[in-house]
Amino acid sequence: MTDKIEINLDTINLDIRGQICPACLLISLKEINKHKETLRCRGANLVVKTDHRDATRTIPDAATAMGYTVSVEKKKGYYEITVGLEHEGRQA
Amino acid sequence: MKAGRHNNRTYPTAGTENVEGKNTVLLRYIRDKVNQLLQIMGTKPLREEELNDESLIAIDPIGIIAESFEQVLEHLKESNRQLQLARDYLQAVFDTAGVGISIIDRDMRIIKCNEKQKELLANGIALIEGKHCYEVYCGMDSPSLMCPAIETLETGRAVMLKEVTKKGRVFQIATSPLKDKSGDIIGVVEVNMDITEKKRAEDAMCQSEKLAAVGQLAAGIAHELNNPLGNILGYAKLLLMDENPSEPQRERVKVIVEQAKKGSGIIKSLLEFSHQKMPVFEKISINTCIEQALQSLHGETEGINIEISTRLGDVPHIMADPKQMEQVVYNILLNAVQSMEGRGGTVEVSSESANGSVEVTIKDDGPGIHREHLCRIFEPFFTTKPVGKGTGLGLSICSEILKKHGSNIRVESEKGKGAKFYFRLKDGIPDV
Repeated sequence: MTDKIEINLDTINLDIRGQICPACLLISLKEINKHKETLRCRGANLVVKTDHRDATRTIPDAATAMGYTVSVEKKKGYYEITVGLEHEGRQA
Repeated sequence: MKAGRHNNRTYPTAGTENVEGKNTVLLRYIRDKVNQLLQIMGTKPLREEELNDESLIAIDPIGIIAESFEQVLEHLKESNRQLQLARDYLQAVFDTAGVGISIIDRDMRIIKCNEKQKELLANGIALIEGKHCYEVYCGMDSPSLMCPAIETLETGRAVMLKEVTKKGRVFQIATSPLKDKSGDIIGVVEVNMDITEKKRAEDAMCQSEKLAAVGQLAAGIAHELNNPLGNILGYAKLLLMDENPSEPQRERVKVIVEQAKKGSGIIKSLLEFSHQKMPVFEKISINTCIEQALQSLHGETEGINIEISTRLGDVPHIMADPKQMEQVVYNILLNAVQSMEGRGGTVEVSSESANGSVEVTIKDDGPGIHREHLCRIFEPFFTTKPVGKGTGLGLSICSEILKKHGSNIRVESEKGKGAKFYFRLKDGIPDV
């Protein structure tokens, strides 16, 4: 797998374009678990770029069950799924 | 497994084919379990072309899912804790609200109610939940036609009843629909506010305003009538002193005097009513007041077949205005005597000591008081006597005097079975 991961102070970027479910879900969950502390304590977001439509359902469902707030945005040719803790201006 | 040596024992060893077979079984098992867990996470099973066996083991899916479940569990625990906390807060608000709150289902059964509701309308009833609200709160076998809960269930609208009497108390009732997620009405939230004291205060205020208005009017009329009536009486008396009038003329003048005196009596009552004085408290014997009232009444019972008996107990002296107390006893006695005019009867006046207080009772075996008149007999100008026989102020004056003495006049009566008036006076100056 050639997934691209970028981390800055507020955002952890995960590019899994080309992957399909359920691998998308597993990879995203792995990153959520890995950056649990950063996401929960430092208010960072995990931004997942995916071009697989099913992932826009499976990732938000799983992340919401884990207590995260998730938003999905359609970009040009892919989707951007943002996972983080609830704060003003974000929708589940 | 291949056979190996261990503690001088020989073990069978598997051939290469066997190891590969075992690995295939184990990989199949791992893949099945991963798929099972993925299904729980709400996604599709893994396909071979998506993740080959090597990548599958490398990504450690069971580890990822297990760690994710740990976060799911933590989130559930936190959510439960917050829910419990919210429930406790809500319960505290529910139970400490100053109004009775009840949740009723579509079958009119009580699902839940707060402590205030139990205290107001379900005192002493065990296991309220599950019972019909009309049985517990209204003491009825079926809902009343005016039931606001039924109206809310039928129309889906909030309903408010400004004044409803239940179990001897007055309530303001508001009902609002309880809806489920799809918007269907599944019950009613009923809020009962006890307004008994407020209503009593409003009625008292209304009564006192009415009394003040009546008093003002009465004082004006009495003042205007007093002077001409005094002149009529004076000149009539002068005529009687004259030696010239014939006997029939003298009789007519006597009627004028008598009627003028009656008019004066009415004016005196009106003035007493409108200028009710504050009592001048002193240590008195209520028995003395009763005896003096009986003496004053002597003229009224002459020639009519009414027997007045007394049963005066050994009562303590109390702080009261003797003149006003005498007037109270006189007015009640006069009412009793007048109610029995033409038919005769007995009146008993008694006094007795009751826990440091004095209770005075005036009981007659006259015609009694009609049920619908009972609540009105203390209103000023309310009378059932024929025109010219009474002003309807006697009992109203009694009631006002006793209020200023920190007491209340009470009456028990049934049509045809006589009447019993009684009041209790405590020693000491009341804070009124």
